Amino acid sequence: MRNIFLTAVALVVLGCGKTNSEEPIAPKEGSYTGTVSVVYNGSTFDNENIQVDFKPAADGKTASIVLNQIRFVPTMPVTVDVTIPDVTVQADDKEIVLSCARVVPLAMGGEYPRYTVTDLKGKIVGNEMTFSLNFGDSPTSFRGTK
Amino acid sequence: MTGMALISLWLSIVPVQDTLQAGTVVALKESVPLSQVASPVSSIRPELLETTGTYRPNSLSGMIPGLHIPDYGASMTSTIYLRGLGSRMENPVLGLYLDGIPILDKNAYDFDWEGVRSVTLLRGPQGTLYGRNTMGGVLAIRTLAPSDCLPPTISLEYGTANTVRAGGFFTTGNHAFSATFRHTDGVFRNVFKQELCDPFNGLSVRWKWEKPAGDRLFVSHLFSASLSDEGGFAYGLHTDGTDGPVSYNDEAGYRRLFVLDGTKLRWRGEKVVVDGTASLQLLLDDMRMDQDYTERPIFTLQQEQHCGAGTLEVLVRRADAKARWQPSSGVFAFLRGNRMHAPVTFKRDGIQTLILDNANAHIPSDIGYLTLSDNEMTVGSDFDIATWNVALFHESVWRTGAWLFTAGLRVDYEGARMDYDCLTSLHYRFMPTMKADKALDVPYTGSVGHSRIEVLPKLSVLYEVAEGLRLFSVLSKGYRSGGFNTQIFSDILQHQAMTAMMKDLGVYFDQPTAGVTAGHTEYDPEEAWNLEVGGRFRREGIRAEVSAYGMNVRNRQMTVFLPGQSAGRMMTNADGGWHVGVETEAEGRWKDLCLRAAWSWCKTEEGVPYVPEHTLFAGVGYPFRLRGCRLQVDGFVRGAGPFWWNEEHSLREPFSLRAGGRIALVFPKWEVYARGENLTSTDSHTFYFKSMEKEYFASGKPRMIMIGITIKCK
Repeated sequence: MRNIFLTAVALVVLGCGKTNSEEPIAPKEGSYTGTVSVVYNGSTFDNENIQVDFKPAADGKTASIVLNQIRFVPTMPVTVDVTIPDVTVQADDKEIVLSCARVVPLAMGGEYPRYTVTDLKGKIVGNEMTFSLNFGDSPTSFRGTK
Repeated sequence: MTGMALISLWLSIVPVQDTLQAGTVVALKESVPLSQVASPVSSIRPELLETTGTYRPNSLSGMIPGLHIPDYGASMTSTIYLRGLGSRMENPVLGLYLDGIPILDKNAYDFDWEGVRSVTLLRGPQGTLYGRNTMGGVLAIRTLAPSDCLPPTISLEYGTANTVRAGGFFTTGNHAFSATFRHTDGVFRNVFKQELCDPFNGLSVRWKWEKPAGDRLFVSHLFSASLSDEGGFAYGLHTDGTDGPVSYNDEAGYRRLFVLDGTKLRWRGEKVVVDGTASLQLLLDDMRMDQDYTERPIFTLQQEQHCGAGTLEVLVRRADAKARWQPSSGVFAFLRGNRMHAPVTFKRDGIQTLILDNANAHIPSDIGYLTLSDNEMTVGSDFDIATWNVALFHESVWRTGAWLFTAGLRVDYEGARMDYDCLTSLHYRFMPTMKADKALDVPYTGSVGHSRIEVLPKLSVLYEVAEGLRLFSVLSKGYRSGGFNTQIFSDILQHQAMTAMMKDLGVYFDQPTAGVTAGHTEYDPEEAWNLEVGGRFRREGIRAEVSAYGMNVRNRQMTVFLPGQSAGRMMTNADGGWHVGVETEAEGRWKDLCLRAAWSWCKTEEGVPYVPEHTLFAGVGYPFRLRGCRLQVDGFVRGAGPFWWNEEHSLREPFSLRAGGRIALVFPKWEVYARGENLTSTDSHTFYFKSMEKEYFASGKPRMIMIGITIKCK
């Protein structure tokens, strides 16, 4: 009887420990500050100190990524906020993986097909967010921290 | 009759030098007669007012040396220049006193009068006794009093532009009444609307009641009201050196009701005389302006003011007028509240040129462009402005032989606060990204305020060289108040609306898009120190005066235009500089021939625009005695200039003269007359400004001929 009880306790403890360590990370809204690098006409220019907001949907399966005040080309006299909607979110216990094959971003009050986002790949690990994508023909990447 | 007898008895015990004595000037605070005041003084007799057709302050231009009040815009404009001082907006450089009561609002300075008995201007800063907004001087108007005992008089005149002016006055017992009405069709044609743009209808009434209350107290009560409805803003586009016609499409005009109700009390004790003055003032006005002054629907401005004010002053003097030392001390206070509704409405072309073009100029065309679907967009601005002032002052006059020394000091505290509540509502769309219009409300609220203390000293000396000949020198300081730039709020709000739209869109400009912000809404007081020497001669019908001054002006208030596609303007402070000048006037009678001449020269270090270098007036009158009547012939010329129209000194108005005259057949109880102004129909400009990078001029009025009749019911 005693052995049965100890075995049960051990199974519960081990079972609990195993369950906690394998549970996927719940995506949470957050802001990351870092550098957005855009390749334009063969050369890279950096948008520094850019705030990128991660806004997961209620079901946690998709999210929006908002790039605040960025410019696509160095000579742009304005900066714009760009929202990438419908980014697929997959989380495990170590990281949140972001992906999106193709989506039209939102900017200046509506869809902005000129800079259609393709091949978005990224992840959130701990306090760091990284992703890469193509804004139209311009390869773009971001690395930032909370 | 008992009342009149009491007034006469009471007046007989008033000290000789008392400036409140009937028949002299009741509006001034000096404790010595005007002939002994150590400042240049101009006095205009009622006869001269009549012969020159002066029934409103504008016509005093030139008659008083250095005084320049151009006639343009509308009654609210009332721009006054004196000694290189003055600006088109906000606080005046000249204090206006009506029977000893200060009129606080410059918008009420231009009014028609009837039965005015004298107009006196103390020139130079008079800050010590009169406080704020008297750095150029004090204009004191004395109206008909019951004790004047003039016969009831009515007058009617008609002339050019269907101008009708009717007026009359009478006294009965302790009461004096006067009223005047004026109508004119106007003289400037708006070629776009095919109508005259400067019609005027105005009515002014005045009632004065005076009565002794016992042996020691004298009470005087003044009620004055003026109501006017007029067009205006006859500004023509100036291109390639040529003046274009007035041509604007939107409503423009000005309506005003101004009511002044004041009471003066004088209590005469054994040792002191106490003067108390209190007034309530109400100004309700509504100005509408096509602010682009073109035939295109760009934008309009409305400025509606509900303004109320109360003033109070107590002045204590020594009762013994013959004493060597004549001290006078006083306290003054006022409180003024102004609720201003000043919406700017952008019409279709204005939305495009002033807002969209400005905004889209900053947006790369390959990103997109902004549209506004509103046919009209109103930038609503409401202001509550409170101003308060408390002052303590003292002035002492010492007589020693032929010398008369004066020293005075005033400490003037003024505070002001403005609450602004503005709202812009619009519907915008950014193409090609937005599929539909989006409503956006842009509120802008807040408050600004300030308070300042001004110390206003005065030192003067006067020496009586011989009988009637006096030399004087004075050092004095004056200021005009600071204030708030309500005019620039439409520009601020345009910027706010554009910024809000862009923020709503998530678009941010690298460079600021507006030159003005809420930080520009305040401007500081302007101050002037004046050192002056002069001489005065008054003897046997001859009056002459000459003075030379040097004024150091600091924080000069000036109106500046906002850069770019803007019609905005604002008051700001410049450094200032030295103003030097000479003023002289003479008046005399030789047998029946009456002569008057006035001339001034003023040079400003910084070349202040709008300020004439010279003013000139020369008039002559002569009565031809006929059987049972006389033929009175009067002629005069007045001139002003040259002056700069802009800070860059690229536009200059030459000196120009305008001739006027009057010929009257005068019978004991009535007279008929014809009078004219600008008889040679000389072309000149009265105003210049820039709006939306275009230049505009206002022209002087052409020849005006009037015929009239005056009946005295003796």
